[in-house]
Amino acid sequence: MAMRVLNMSIQEPVESAPATSSLRHFIIATIGRRYLAFEAGFTKALLTVQEVERGENPELGGVVDRTVDLIMQLNLTDVPIRPETPVVILADQGIQCSIRVSHIHGRVEVQPSQILPLPAHFTSVERQWYRGLILIEHSIALILNPAWLLGEHAGSDATHDQETAQSFMDLQDSAAGERRAC
Amino acid sequence: MLRMGGTRQKHATRSSWMLLVFSIGGRRLAVKTSEVSGISAWNASIPVGGRTPFITAVVRQDQAVLPVFDLASVLRLCVQGGNPLCLRIKHPLGDMVICIDEEMPVLQTLEATAVQAYRSKDIPAEGSYASGLDEIPILAIAQLGSSM
Repeated sequence: MAMRVLNMSIQEPVESAPATSSLRHFIIATIGRRYLAFEAGFTKALLTVQEVERGENPELGGVVDRTVDLIMQLNLTDVPIRPETPVVILADQGIQCSIRVSHIHGRVEVQPSQILPLPAHFTSVERQWYRGLILIEHSIALILNPAWLLGEHAGSDATHDQETAQSFMDLQDSAAGERRAC
Repeated sequence: MLRMGGTRQKHATRSSWMLLVFSIGGRRLAVKTSEVSGISAWNASIPVGGRTPFITAVVRQDQAVLPVFDLASVLRLCVQGGNPLCLRIKHPLGDMVICIDEEMPVLQTLEATAVQAYRSKDIPAEGSYASGLDEIPILAIAQLGSSM
C-alpha cells in the first residue's frame, strides 16, 4: 500500500492540503507505542510543552481552550511532561485543544480507499473516538475524530456506562494488549 | 500441522461434528472447524483502548486488521506458553482472532449424539461433550462479543 511520509519539524506550521487533491492528509504521532493519526486539516500547530506554556506562538492566538488527556481517555502509556515534549494543537470553529504526545513522526497522505473502518465488532464509545485506521509500516494508526477531541468527549463518554466499562477495562487490562502470556 | 484426536479419530459423517480442540490457560475448548479461518503464530496486538467488553485490541495480518476477542479474560485465565498461537475465527461481523495456548490444537470428530447441553454459563456454547472427567464446551462463535 503506497503511503508517503513527509518529514516535519516539530515547530513547523501545518500546511493545508490542496483543495483539489483527493488525498487525505494526516499527522502521525505516537503516544507510548501506539500510532495515532490527526487530520491535518484540523491540526493548527505542532509545538512543544514549553512553547504552549509560554503562550508566545502566534499560531495559537494566545489561547488554548483545553488540554485533552488522551492518556486517560484511551488508556495509553503516560507521556512525561518535559519542556521538549511535543504537543499537537487542534482547532476548529474557534475552539482549540492541545494534546501531548510522545513523538511526532510526520505527515502522511493517503487515498480515501486506504482508510480502513474500525471493525464492526467494536460497538461502544470507541466508535466516536476513531474515524478509521491507516496501515503504517507493520502497525496501524488510529485516526482520531477531531469533533470528539474538540469537545464532544467532555460529556458523552464520562457518563457512558462508566461503571461497567471501567470494570471491563480493569479486567481486560490484566491480560490484553501485548502482554498475552501471563 | 494439526494433530488428530486419539480415540475419536474417525471419518466425519453427516451426524458428526468436526471440531478443533484448543486450550487457553490449560483449559480445553472446542470450535467447529467450519468456523475456523486459520491458525498462526501470535503477533503483538495493538490496543485500541475501547470499551467494548473483551474486544479492546486488534492485530494486523498483512493488509487486514482483525479485532482480538480476549477469551482468556472471559475465562479469567492466562494464556500459557512463550509462543502463543493465533486462532482466526469466522464471526458474522467479520473474522476475529483469539490468543490461545502454544499447545498445538487437535482436530476431533465427534458423533452428534455425544453433544450435550453446556451447563456452565461462563462462555456462550452450542453444547459440550465429555472427555474423561472434563466437559469441553463447543463455542458459539456468533455470540462472542455481542451478548457478553
